[in-house]
Amino acid sequence: MSRALLALALALAPAVFGQAGGDPILGAMRDEMRRALGIQFDNLEKPYYIEYALDDARIFTALASAGGLISATPARFRAPSVQVRVGSYQFDNTNYIGSGFGQRSEMGAPLDDSYAVLRRYLWLATDNAYKSAVQTIARKRAALKNMTPTDAAPDFSAVKPLRRLEPVPVMAFDEALWTSRLRSLSAVAAANPSVTNSLLEVQAVRNVHYLATSEGAEVRSPEVLIYVRARASAQAPDGMLMRDAVVFHSLDLNAMPADAEMSRQIAAMSDNVAALLRAPIEEAYNGPVLFEAQAAAQLFAQVLGRNLALTRKPVVEQGRGGGFASSELEGRIGARILPEWMDVIDDPTQKEFRGRRLFGAYSVDMEGVEPSALTLVEKGVLKNFLLTRRPVKTYRASNGRARLPGSFGANSAGFGNLFVRASETVTEAALKAQMMEICKTREKPYGIVVRKLDFPSSASFDEARRILGQPGGSSQPLSLPLLVYRVFPDGREQLVRGARFKGLNARSLKDILAASDQSYVFEYLDNPAPFAIMGAGSSLSETAVIAPSLLIDDLELQKIEQEYPKLPVVPPPAAP
Amino acid sequence: MRVTALARCALLFPLSFSLYGQPVLETMANEMDRNFRVLREKADPAPYYLSYTITEEVTDTAAATLGTLTARHGGVNRYLDTTIRVGSRKLDNYHRVRGDRAHFTSGAPIAIDNTPLAIQRRLWLETDRTYRSAAERLINIRTNKQVKVAEEDDSDDFSVETAAVHRAPPPRHKFAGPEWESRLRRLSLEFAKFPEILSSQISVNAQTETKYMVSTEGARLEHGRGFARIVISAHAKAVDGMDLGTSDSFEAVDPSGLPPDDKIRAAILRVAEDLKGLLHAPVVEPFVGPAILSGHASGVFFHEIFGHRIEGHRQKDETEGQTFTKSVGQPVLPEFLSVLFDPTRRKIGTVDLNGWYDFDDEGVAARPVPLIENGILKTFLMSRSPIRNFAQSNGHGRRQPGQEVVSRQSNLLVESSRKVAETRLREMLVEEIRKQGKPYGFQIQRVTGGFTTTSRMGLQAFKVIPLVVYRVYPDGRPDELVRGADLVGTPLASFAKILATSDRVDVFNGYCGAESGNVPVSAASPAILVREIEIEKKAKSQDRPPLLPAPTETESSR
Repeated sequence: MSRALLALALALAPAVFGQAGGDPILGAMRDEMRRALGIQFDNLEKPYYIEYALDDARIFTALASAGGLISATPARFRAPSVQVRVGSYQFDNTNYIGSGFGQRSEMGAPLDDSYAVLRRYLWLATDNAYKSAVQTIARKRAALKNMTPTDAAPDFSAVKPLRRLEPVPVMAFDEALWTSRLRSLSAVAAANPSVTNSLLEVQAVRNVHYLATSEGAEVRSPEVLIYVRARASAQAPDGMLMRDAVVFHSLDLNAMPADAEMSRQIAAMSDNVAALLRAPIEEAYNGPVLFEAQAAAQLFAQVLGRNLALTRKPVVEQGRGGGFASSELEGRIGARILPEWMDVIDDPTQKEFRGRRLFGAYSVDMEGVEPSALTLVEKGVLKNFLLTRRPVKTYRASNGRARLPGSFGANSAGFGNLFVRASETVTEAALKAQMMEICKTREKPYGIVVRKLDFPSSASFDEARRILGQPGGSSQPLSLPLLVYRVFPDGREQLVRGARFKGLNARSLKDILAASDQSYVFEYLDNPAPFAIMGAGSSLSETAVIAPSLLIDDLELQKIEQEYPKLPVVPPPAAP
Repeated sequence: MRVTALARCALLFPLSFSLYGQPVLETMANEMDRNFRVLREKADPAPYYLSYTITEEVTDTAAATLGTLTARHGGVNRYLDTTIRVGSRKLDNYHRVRGDRAHFTSGAPIAIDNTPLAIQRRLWLETDRTYRSAAERLINIRTNKQVKVAEEDDSDDFSVETAAVHRAPPPRHKFAGPEWESRLRRLSLEFAKFPEILSSQISVNAQTETKYMVSTEGARLEHGRGFARIVISAHAKAVDGMDLGTSDSFEAVDPSGLPPDDKIRAAILRVAEDLKGLLHAPVVEPFVGPAILSGHASGVFFHEIFGHRIEGHRQKDETEGQTFTKSVGQPVLPEFLSVLFDPTRRKIGTVDLNGWYDFDDEGVAARPVPLIENGILKTFLMSRSPIRNFAQSNGHGRRQPGQEVVSRQSNLLVESSRKVAETRLREMLVEEIRKQGKPYGFQIQRVTGGFTTTSRMGLQAFKVIPLVVYRVYPDGRPDELVRGADLVGTPLASFAKILATSDRVDVFNGYCGAESGNVPVSAASPAILVREIEIEKKAKSQDRPPLLPAPTETESSR
């Protein structure tokens, strides 16, 4: 009897939320939020802002190596996060060393569309978040008692609430097909006998992102992403670990490159590793460097892109903490940072470039703000920064660039499609000729062309830590160059290895001598880790840099000083 | 019929694992021979032992709360553990250096396809990595031996055992996913009748584990078993902020052996009613006095205070408390108690035991080990790491993939010759309360687990965490449920105080976490009457219960 009754209640549940406004998830968020705004602890303040976000995701991940599948894992989860702000836009519980967001409930989030259970989840999570918010703001106030605040910026900026409910399309994905495709591609990577270690990975994300705020915003946006990542490595005779990687991405599950194209590029990756094993070491070089095609975009992504977001230092108790890395461009608005014939624009609204979908396009950021095209550098002069709803210094309003979760209760800013444009250009051939001309004048035996940087890095965490810890490195060292060639006056090229750039940072971009008339699109998945190291962190943002090849003067390459492990005693197993 | 079953399996896991390629064991043996031969010839120091273990886990998990699924996942994984011993049996890279434990293996993920090249590559890479750290540690040990005083126990580092050859793969993994999903949805709705419960969950987990092992001594093993488990849990918060939780679980080898709905429903109601009772129960005051530990509680009691102290490797580690190291042949428990560890025992009555296996993780065959006979300590739980007077393994070297083997417990079985009926045991408790002039005693009904420290640096103490505890009054008043109690004590003092046991054995199935990771174990014991136990207050959250009442659907917007 009771069983039948309960089953009936369950069957009726959809009808109930149906009346509440269509989407059961947004309905539950809206109804629970209305109630939650009245939450109050004794005489402490009520919330002034509540935000509910939820990712309804299906993620398929498979790994394979040398023709053998390592795992194929379909995962389905719903990850709600709850933010409660108490105080006011001017002063709240964030931007304090003890601030954190994304309170969870003690119960699991419902995978079924259950309005009632989701409300229950949000009720418990909001209660936790509110209790933590009132305690945090009290500690923040106490910390400020004995200090003169240096940053008078408000803690949060208001926005016009966005209501944008996109339809959720059918997002079909053939797991079995991709599993076997990955297995075959992994055999391609391992086919080169010089490559001793290789790994292939596919991930397909089908997500619907929901956002509701007490300001009235309601957002539902479907997000689809697929990538295939291939990595290969081997030890050179002197023990140095050589590696290369290739990544394919798409915002359309059905628009990945064909197998033949992926195979070709994966085989090329393994060939690169094999060639690097035999390449001589570049001991030292000082002079002009040509960053060709994607290498120029990789350079901009790191030395400019990462510095376009500002860091806000949190309130810290006296004598505690510190050492928050700040942007190299902080305080340089109005200063020239590039040649006057260069502009940089971030335009997430541009969906296509030369008939191909742009990877960094998005219509609404994590905070429910719609981005528009933003001129960051005009005629070489820094004009703007990438901003979120967390004010920094004198920058008060968001420009819709909240792309990754950040620290101390806020999100991090990042770009979408970064266009690096030059109004004075030359052909690729002329660019190289210009470099050789400089070499000739300075009596240098060769110039240097860089075709690929290790970014996002395929290094292991240990290796990345070693690179970061290299003596003489800056606080934000550039990732290692992977494909570096000496170019001799007769046009001959020679691959070299084992060198890194010294002192190459945002200031070096002023020394750009010339740009090519070709633009190249470099797509990558950004994350908050150094060198956006592959597989780090649980958050990713899709980005693209569109840039020409660039010639930069006076760069310094130096040999990486390091002890390398001996080669294995046992030779690698041969293919059967 | 068979085709359908396979097709469904293929749908859940779109893989063709184990379906093509040469047998894993063969690939492992070939690559082992190749690596060992070259290392013996060219490496210095040379290895004298190499083994590979691949643990294959096929898992399925589903969980639900209040009629909706909250988790559903599963998959196939294989993990590789590599053991290389360099030096000699007398002194090798695993030698314990004053508390510094060796850790070489990584539990690296390895191909689930039987593609030889994929498997060989990973075996080779891991052999190289493991060899490097093994050789490095041996050199350090040799230096350390020269500068430190001689060790008390100079036993060898690795025992000589017969290499086992045995192939008995476990039955294929079967899990009726959609059926379990709807069962869990339905069952989890039972909690909806208890508005005072803040969160609740019912989950099912099924796992089939296959272990493939080869060693240069000649071991060739392919064996495994299934695990299935239902866990019911509920959580609430008392007005004073104390977090309260109750739970129950069922274990079986195969999901089909898990209980039917009515039995699960009864357990859910018990978990919910217990929690409801706890919300209104008085908080305990610190207490010393007599108590009955149910078979369930007593199993955990023995596991913690006794089981962890008779693990062989602790007897030669000079940072360990070594409570029983020199007690072999002497009484350590009352003479009416015997303790047997029996990994070959699969059931007690109708209950599947969680701690059984055919071979341990060093490839040694499982066997029953009588640890205590009539109160006298006979031996220790042994892995292949010998200790003084015990040169051989008794099949208790265990680990979770990615960890190094140490001696661990299996199925702990407490046997008693002073048995009385449960009603009589209770009368004896009341008599004891009166005799000691105490206002009340305790009945520890259900426990969630416990922990203990065995290290000399720590306190030689244990804690058992009860979920359901009653105060028993000598004047005939009904038993009173109380909350916030932890059971604490020290091992040697506790054993002497066991007065009698009941005649009915209860089983606690669970997972034990220690140096070598989590391993499945059981503890089966009759209820015991203890002259004196100590109850202390549990640490408590300062957070209040939710400020707003639970949402109801009538509050929805329009």
